[in-house]
Amino acid sequence: MKKSDILIIGNGISGLFAACIAADMGKKVQILSYGAGTLTIGGGIIDVLGYDDQGKFIADPLKGMDGISANHPYAKTGAQTAKKALEAFLKITEEEGYPYLGSPDKNLWLPTAVGNFKPTCLVPRTMDTEALFKADNILVVGFDTMKDFYADMATKNLRERLSKNKNVEEFIVKLNFEYGRDLRDISAMDVARWLETDEGHRSFVDQVKGHVKANTAIVLPPVLGLEPNYKVLDSLKKELSCALIEVSSLPPAVTGTRLNKMLHSCAKKRGVQIIEKARVVGSEIIDGKCQAVITEGFDRQRKFYAEQFILATGGVYGGGIIAKIGAMSEPIFNIDIEVPKVQTDWSYKQLFADKKQIFAQYGVSVDENLTPVAADGSKPASNVKVVGRSLAGYDFCYEKSGNGVALITAYKAAAAFCGEA
Amino acid sequence: MAINKQHAIDPDKCTACTICITACPVTAATRKFRGPKMTGPALTRLRKLVSDDDPMLDYCSNCKTCDLVCPSGVPISTLNMIAKNEYYKTHPRKSKADDMLAHSEKMGKLITALPLGSTFANLGMSVGKSFGVMGAMGIAQDAKMPSYASESFISKFKKIKQTPYPRKVVFFSGCYINYNQPEVGTDLVKVYQKNKIEVAIDENFVCCGSPMVSGGYIDDARVNASKNTALLKSWVDRGYDIVTACTSCGLMLKQEYQELFDFEGMAEYAAHMYDSIEYLAKLHDDGQFDTDFANDNTKYIYHAPCHLKVQAIGRPSMELLPMIPGIDIEEADVGCCGISGSYGFKADKHEIAMKVGSKLFNRIKNSHAKLGVCECGTCRLQMENGSGVKAIHPLTVLRQAYGL
Repeated sequence: MKKSDILIIGNGISGLFAACIAADMGKKVQILSYGAGTLTIGGGIIDVLGYDDQGKFIADPLKGMDGISANHPYAKTGAQTAKKALEAFLKITEEEGYPYLGSPDKNLWLPTAVGNFKPTCLVPRTMDTEALFKADNILVVGFDTMKDFYADMATKNLRERLSKNKNVEEFIVKLNFEYGRDLRDISAMDVARWLETDEGHRSFVDQVKGHVKANTAIVLPPVLGLEPNYKVLDSLKKELSCALIEVSSLPPAVTGTRLNKMLHSCAKKRGVQIIEKARVVGSEIIDGKCQAVITEGFDRQRKFYAEQFILATGGVYGGGIIAKIGAMSEPIFNIDIEVPKVQTDWSYKQLFADKKQIFAQYGVSVDENLTPVAADGSKPASNVKVVGRSLAGYDFCYEKSGNGVALITAYKAAAAFCGEA
Repeated sequence: MAINKQHAIDPDKCTACTICITACPVTAATRKFRGPKMTGPALTRLRKLVSDDDPMLDYCSNCKTCDLVCPSGVPISTLNMIAKNEYYKTHPRKSKADDMLAHSEKMGKLITALPLGSTFANLGMSVGKSFGVMGAMGIAQDAKMPSYASESFISKFKKIKQTPYPRKVVFFSGCYINYNQPEVGTDLVKVYQKNKIEVAIDENFVCCGSPMVSGGYIDDARVNASKNTALLKSWVDRGYDIVTACTSCGLMLKQEYQELFDFEGMAEYAAHMYDSIEYLAKLHDDGQFDTDFANDNTKYIYHAPCHLKVQAIGRPSMELLPMIPGIDIEEADVGCCGISGSYGFKADKHEIAMKVGSKLFNRIKNSHAKLGVCECGTCRLQMENGSGVKAIHPLTVLRQAYGL
């Protein structure tokens, strides 16, 4: 383990994307990861900016970044970098044979598992939501024994939300899986594995075919295969002569798993070295520069040296930020995050309030270069940049910016460390 | 000292995020397994209130992929193993082979102690197979079992003449190298001598206990852990580092002992434990690794054992082997081989194990590599069984490249 040029802590979407970008620019990159990152429980779609602070829909996410509040991560990156980052991501998806649809300057409306719509920006081709709006007939397909998708509810809601001249119908595919006390419940992942088999493919086509009219779009849970490619989608499209659109849904996530696999494959091809189960517990900082980070396991501490460091450890849920009663901190660079001492002041009473939640915006504060800034205004390490969910200043859930902030800040950090503005 | 220790008794660290379910190879292969999150932390909470009645526990192979992907540091697989141990105190065993597979050292000792014992044992296995005896014992009919060597590693080691060096290691060979593939042990001594390291062994070491833990015999493993811990600590006190060439032995001695037991000295000796290739990679970092290699124009495919991945040491073999001139080596990188020590030999698990490994088998076949490379003995057997391509230990690749 010789010294690397850039050391990235965390292998979620921001860590992996930063690694791909930096390795592309010729840097020797190492990732230290502890756990797989929350990517595999997310929807695998790239939300960039769906709503403004008042909850008003934003049609063009790049334009929406103008005049965003000064502590928001997008205020540090700007729309130009955002565009470059999202285009770089689209290019990777092309190269990996799993191209995404969409454009950085346009939001799409994607159906959700309950038959509602949410704004998002870049999606896999299995979520070609524009085909849904073009179709005259919508066929909502559920699976009889699968958990977490209720076709009747999705049908009812889609019927209400779509224009009256669209015909929305429901159809339930019989899985005929064995069922019993010694067998576990059926999840979307099990159905995705089934659709990858010839038997599953055949059965699905035979059952659905008779219900597909001219100009139909099928809406179904994310089950179109677990690999980052479109084999299942393309063969079904061909045999059924219609569009198929996966909804965004609950974890364990089929679409998030595909994106995770794709980014890993991309990083490995670029020679990125990933050390798993490496729990980073601290850093060695001399004269305001980080020299190494320190890992600790069951055996001993190890030091990992690099010229530059990217902190991509995620938020509270991903383990990057530690929250205690009345206190919050980033444990690797020992950055205290200012929070109210009284816990009830962290949130509005209503979880899904009509404004950004207070706790959601807690994170590490950074300057315009994504360099961390401590509560007293000091900068602990000049060669460290913070990206993704660890950052302060945004509520991804409210504004629909999840994965967008991750990709855009990761790109800015990696490009800056490689000498690009 | 061990920061993860607290999690072993705390299933509440689990946030139920389901990442482990997306990664578990057994979950992907069969619905007979509920999945790591439910069987591990979720049901452990209930087990605190009511006695356990979950036969699905038996399907966890202890491959530790769940631990690898968990962002909260929950030792999911170890929670499963603890529960399995408790479960079998009050329930009949599903497989008759459990006892034999968990206590493989007994068999190895017996066979290698007899003159021509290995010949008859190996013959017995093939004859037994054709008469269905193995099936009656709970061993999968078409599983390729490890064959026994005619001479144990310990016996071979005594005949090796070593040059003494100030850098000294004690080698915990483990059962597989001692009784089944002693040549890997002699490869280690040759490669280490080339790198100016003196190798010691200890005849009093007993089986690390890994097959006992995964078979639900934690109480037996505790007895072995107590013996090994005292011995390992005393070697470290004498200035020796400890190396293993089997990743499951390594993981058991350095991590699982600390998760399961509480013996004096475990954390102290663990600080001096290394995988055999990791130790050489560390020499390389210090500029002391001998790179006096001959050309090797072979095409290899490397498979990282699950029990190596969770040790937080990266891929030391992929750091060192590519330095051999002419070598063509790539990492398979498609996950678990399925065997998980003794899991895949059991009649009721064999099909699952082969399904888990199918991606790796295809990857090996499609790579057109001449040889597979892997640190784990039973993984190598599974790779050969599934792909038809022979697999060797990275130490063997190094020994050949040194022309030894």
